[in-house]
Amino acid sequence: MVIQIIIQILLDTLMPAVILMLATLGIVLIFKTSYTTNFAQGSIAALAVYVVSSASALFASIIPGISPVMQLILGIIVGIIAAFLFGLFIDTMILRKSKYINAGGKQMITMGIVLIITGLVPLIFGTLSRTVPKIVYGNIDFTLFGLDFWITKHNLISIIIATVVISVIFIMLRFTKWGLGVRATASNELVASMMGVNTHFITAMSWSIAGALGALSASLYAPIYGNLSSAMMTNIQINGFLASILGGFGTFFGPVVGSYIIPTITGMVAYVSALWKNVIVYGLILIIILIKPIGLFGKKVQKKV
Amino acid sequence: MNTNFNKKHTFLNKIVTHPYFGFILAGLLLMTVQLLEYQGIIGVTYARAFGLTIIYFIISLGFSLLLGYAGLASLGTSGFIGLGAYITGYVLKTLELPLIVALLLTLVIAIVIGTIVGFISLRIEGMYLAIITLGLSEILNEIFKNAVKFTNGVNGLKLSSLTMFNTIITHREFYFVLVFVMVLAMILTINIISSPTGRAMLAMKNSTSAAQAMGISILKYRLLAFVIATIYAAVGGLLYFGYWLTSNPETWSISLSLSILAAVIVGGAKSIWGVLAGTFLMFGIDLAVFKQMDFFQKYQDVPYLFSGLLIILVVMFYPGGLSKLGVDIKTFIKKTFVKVRGLYHNWRYGKDDIR
Repeated sequence: MVIQIIIQILLDTLMPAVILMLATLGIVLIFKTSYTTNFAQGSIAALAVYVVSSASALFASIIPGISPVMQLILGIIVGIIAAFLFGLFIDTMILRKSKYINAGGKQMITMGIVLIITGLVPLIFGTLSRTVPKIVYGNIDFTLFGLDFWITKHNLISIIIATVVISVIFIMLRFTKWGLGVRATASNELVASMMGVNTHFITAMSWSIAGALGALSASLYAPIYGNLSSAMMTNIQINGFLASILGGFGTFFGPVVGSYIIPTITGMVAYVSALWKNVIVYGLILIIILIKPIGLFGKKVQKKV
Repeated sequence: MNTNFNKKHTFLNKIVTHPYFGFILAGLLLMTVQLLEYQGIIGVTYARAFGLTIIYFIISLGFSLLLGYAGLASLGTSGFIGLGAYITGYVLKTLELPLIVALLLTLVIAIVIGTIVGFISLRIEGMYLAIITLGLSEILNEIFKNAVKFTNGVNGLKLSSLTMFNTIITHREFYFVLVFVMVLAMILTINIISSPTGRAMLAMKNSTSAAQAMGISILKYRLLAFVIATIYAAVGGLLYFGYWLTSNPETWSISLSLSILAAVIVGGAKSIWGVLAGTFLMFGIDLAVFKQMDFFQKYQDVPYLFSGLLIILVVMFYPGGLSKLGVDIKTFIKKTFVKVRGLYHNWRYGKDDIR
């Protein structure tokens, strides 16, 4: 019985884990290329979900006889494109045009973007509550080794999509010219630009891809969350940061593992105490980070005076 | 012409140029707001907006010490304010003890929490620290929501009336307490800034290694900076509860921390007057003007748009903030005055080739 419960919890937490992985991958991409922690990752994603819901409503009105699934998929594509462009806009129009900028200043700017999106959302999309439907409704029940398990169809599809996307990003990082550029920029921006890497292009693409990843994760998460709000991704944002620190910002692989660990542990703890799960998990993470500040998979960075 | 000969060293001049003079003047000016409210000239909502802005100013002062002098970015401010508010609420409502006990308890807990965060800041630096303090604030917020026995959960803690020295103190009288604490906080802050402690913090901000090489203990000054900032925040929470007699968990969210950060950055993190201007720009206008307009009552989140835009514009083009604006305007006026005087001389006496 215990094994059944544990495997069921693992199945249930797989969905929050892949959503967190998508968001975290965006944060890490930006951190590696721009040396800043992007506080606006969640807000950009929330903005994109509003675009998704508006766009799917628009497609329903302009294309007669379109099926709800098709509406949603087209909407999600529009939302991802919007977030992609928004990320591009932030890097090329705000960060690059700033006069005296350092890592801290960039961080402040992303916090400013959070505030702007919070103010902008009700102005553009109104204050009426809106939701995003699931891709498919219903559950799948299956039996494994004589034990019964279940998973919702939406979760299963989301997990497949997210796994494919994350794999594609990792393959691109390892095998394409863009990936090489990102890794070169991550190790040293100045030297990379001297070696002929177009660091401006790499940074802009990282911001755009991070925005798109956030939009995808938010679109998959929105049906579970309920009524949309500009603060809907705040929790995922904080968990993404903590996952990045837990796994270590040094590698791309660490934060993704970190963002698998956090929801899984939260799911396990929730079985014991649902009320205090976040406090217990955050406390545990803080203790781990205090013991090992560079993260579980981090590499020690030598500081020069 | 040497201007030093013209400087008057009279008693009056000594008073006017003393740094405390401006603080006390600001306190008196803010007191007139409440006096005007007594007369019915200013609406009660405006007076309360001023009161709340004063509380946020006190908190921002502590935060500016942390950010502008010690160079430590923290996003845990709102959690610490909430802690102060809830401790005060618990002492006053459940334990039914006087306010002074709440103050002492708040100070003790603020020192303990500040020390803990200070120790964390020794291990984790820079951008990571903001994230960790954000996590800490999130833990505190979860506790505010879930520890129903102490905080009354999401319904919020409410007190019917505040009693001090066996008399009931309304928000009108408490306003004067706020102004008094504000002047006290300003005096304390300028003393910290211009003392060796402030200089040591500034050295630490510019280069940790260089400061250590000069014999500055990083441990001591980081802990001190966090303890001071936490005390300011927790006392702000106490004042908040005394003034509004209510505390809700959702008040102490990330957006409050971000707003305080915005106020300090827009005002200029190194100047007391800059922080004052920044707080009044961020909170004062929001509370007194935007909250009263029908449009903004319908769209409650829209004022954040302006704070966001301001923070981005200031970071992008004007890193000194409003405090630098004052200096820049002064130099501009001086330059224009000299120019105009030169033009006048040229017109009056003819062009002077030697000059």
